Amino acid sequence: MLKIEGFSYRYQSRNCFTLKNINLQLKPGEMLLLAGRSGCGKSTLIKAISGLLGSEGAGELQGSIYLQNENITNWAPEKIGQLVGTVYQSPDDQLFAMTVADEVGFALENQGLEPQVIAREVSDTLALVGLAGFEDYSIHKLSGGQRQRLALASILITKPRLLILDEPVSQMNPQGVQSFLQLLLRLNKEEKIAILMIEHRVNELYNYFTRLAVMDEGQIIYDGSMAEAWYALTARQDVGVREPQNVKLCRALGLPRLTTDGVQIVTMIKEQHQIVGEIKARANRKALAPAMLQEEVLLKADSVTFTYPGSKEPTLKFLSFELHRGEIVGLMGFNGAGKSTLMNLLGGLTKLQQGSITLDCLPIAKALGKIGYLRQEPDLMLLADTVREELCWKNSALGEAELQALLSKLNLQQYEHDFPLALSKGQRLRVVLGAMLAKKPELLLLDEPTTGQDEQSLQEIKQLLVDYKEQGGTVFICTHDVELAAEVTDRIIVLRQGEIIADAVANRVLSDVTLLEEGGLTPSSLLEIAGELKLPPCVTIEEVQQYVR
Amino acid sequence: MSVRQLWEGADKKGWAEELNGRTKLIMLFLFAILTITVDNPRTLFLLFSVTLLLHVAAGTSIYKWRVLAILLLLGLWGSMFSQALFFAQTPRTPLLTIISPECPYLGQLTGGLYVYREGILYGAVQGLRSASMLALGLLVCWTSDPRQLLQALLSWRLSPQIAFMLVTAIRFLPVMAAETGEVITALQLRSDSQKGRSAVLQHLPYICKPLLARCLRRAQTLALSVVSRGFFLASVGQRREEWLLREKLCCLVFLGFTVAVVASKIIYLLSEQGLYFGFFRIIYDWTVLYL
Repeated sequence: MLKIEGFSYRYQSRNCFTLKNINLQLKPGEMLLLAGRSGCGKSTLIKAISGLLGSEGAGELQGSIYLQNENITNWAPEKIGQLVGTVYQSPDDQLFAMTVADEVGFALENQGLEPQVIAREVSDTLALVGLAGFEDYSIHKLSGGQRQRLALASILITKPRLLILDEPVSQMNPQGVQSFLQLLLRLNKEEKIAILMIEHRVNELYNYFTRLAVMDEGQIIYDGSMAEAWYALTARQDVGVREPQNVKLCRALGLPRLTTDGVQIVTMIKEQHQIVGEIKARANRKALAPAMLQEEVLLKADSVTFTYPGSKEPTLKFLSFELHRGEIVGLMGFNGAGKSTLMNLLGGLTKLQQGSITLDCLPIAKALGKIGYLRQEPDLMLLADTVREELCWKNSALGEAELQALLSKLNLQQYEHDFPLALSKGQRLRVVLGAMLAKKPELLLLDEPTTGQDEQSLQEIKQLLVDYKEQGGTVFICTHDVELAAEVTDRIIVLRQGEIIADAVANRVLSDVTLLEEGGLTPSSLLEIAGELKLPPCVTIEEVQQYVR
Repeated sequence: MSVRQLWEGADKKGWAEELNGRTKLIMLFLFAILTITVDNPRTLFLLFSVTLLLHVAAGTSIYKWRVLAILLLLGLWGSMFSQALFFAQTPRTPLLTIISPECPYLGQLTGGLYVYREGILYGAVQGLRSASMLALGLLVCWTSDPRQLLQALLSWRLSPQIAFMLVTAIRFLPVMAAETGEVITALQLRSDSQKGRSAVLQHLPYICKPLLARCLRRAQTLALSVVSRGFFLASVGQRREEWLLREKLCCLVFLGFTVAVVASKIIYLLSEQGLYFGFFRIIYDWTVLYL
């Protein structure tokens, strides 16, 4: 289907090659997951396959790309587009029309087909992606997941033999990811479409792909079966691949095989390790009750109710909770549960209608200077010309020594004078987070801070949060990432339809499978392993390690 | 309704939405010529009223009406106020003295500041011109699918690349509006003062850079998306939507009317330069009275 032979590419403005001697093959109907750090050349590779590098000016290109045995290296993108469809990360950026039918039919209109034929094809394609009957809907009335399906439909209508997906699920919640991948699996099986997906979140996708390729600095450093990948990546933990928790557990326990199969892991643990007594282990674990964590209340919300103008139902219903000093609290739940509304109320972006919120005994409206709020789109918060200026932005109290210490902590020393928007995704997020931390807020609000971040960037963010907490800071983090929540939070609040359905220590919330499903979350695979080993519920590798010797 | 929804085209199927893109663009163009040609405040007010009536007929939502009203009033008021104060032509009749020439320092510095009657009228004329075009432009924007306008431009043999660039601007209007709000919010959150957390105006100078960066990224993705869907391969003929005869006739009538108005104005202006013909007397009278 696709054959890339010795392909290298250097952008005109750069001295070194972005892609270096890429060799990759994809058989008809095969599914390949391509992972790698931000900036490793994945997007350039997509451009190369889609024929878009030829239009980038006089870049230096070597090697060949074959599609269905034809050399497409110099084909126009329009011609390649009839065989290869590409779906990008954000559906909003690639949709063009106003209604669903117009969007899906756009490619066929360009081919000059009759309106009746287009209408029939549109209906069939929409049915294929689960959007049957949505023809006359405005694209703006669709949810994020539906818009991504629409973007997929607008490509599928041309019946491509190869589908390229560039981080299509990075903005979806875990259940949305599962649903989208089920759809891709069905398309792959029923329509025999080859799929090449780019994504860091290997931990959530490994079940759907049998083959993994990993890129680093413009080269493919691994291309093989998913099952074997973990061995190959043992020495390359720096390449940004987010491994499944089960594999991490195998590594942490030094098990002879690295596998995602829970049954095999249980067998290996039973054969090679001892289970430590429950009582002893429990004593070492994190505290189980929230009251045992930190006593000093920083923020107190009492009967907070909020209704959007024109809405009949309140989005938040009589929420009461506390955040303690030196605590990291997670906020989780389905999309539309009211999480962002609550964050906006705490961040002072939305006015309180009913109930009260106090910070350090002051009404929240008078204490906004003590709050740092990092929103979902950190790029929109970057305003200055250099990283240094960004960290000092409206912060005259920040001295040179403090600035250098902060840059060091953010791992951004070498980028001090760089243009922030030209940095990698992880670096951009760290710059914004650093600008927040530079003001020494008492409460840090984070809305989905890890979206689209690779493993290394994720680890750096986690470390920043833990350091901040150790200095007495409080973090309220809204996330869908169960693994992150298990590793960094002390306590988790779960929202469903504007109501708190759980407020307890992280381990207790994340080990309640029914509760997680009610909140739209996917339980940790470690829970199953702990259950098989007859251990108390475990959601982090450290917790399992405490029981296993 | 969110800021983004405000700038989004309507997906409903009203008469205005179903008009061919060519009809909309022709009407907009001819209307622009009319508003430039006409100097008579009453006729300009009539043209302005027509644009408002079109909004009524198209069923513009209450929220959009509010925004339209604010924009129109600000434009009209700004134009009339500035012209009333700084009208430089003669004759001019002072209606009100704001700073007398005898006033110490400021009076000597400015030579007196007055509100001129002719300035108000001149400002009203200019304001009505821009208000009419603003109202009609927004009507086209709110009732058009970007594809509709794209097809119109392509059917006139405009290069697909240029047509795409022109229409992308409209496609991004809602997104940019939403992102402007996001950037202002971000600036509020990064403000160093309690007051700055709720202020908007003081943050405006800093919104360009993040917006521009985002727009470049979005435009690139959209271009890649449409290219891979064969947009630039398609021939013009393949894309052409049916242009109904009644719409063509309407355009033709309006074109005839606009040509008549422009011709009348030219004939009248020539008469002022001494090129006077007796049999054009009725045109001269009509022009003086209405144009």
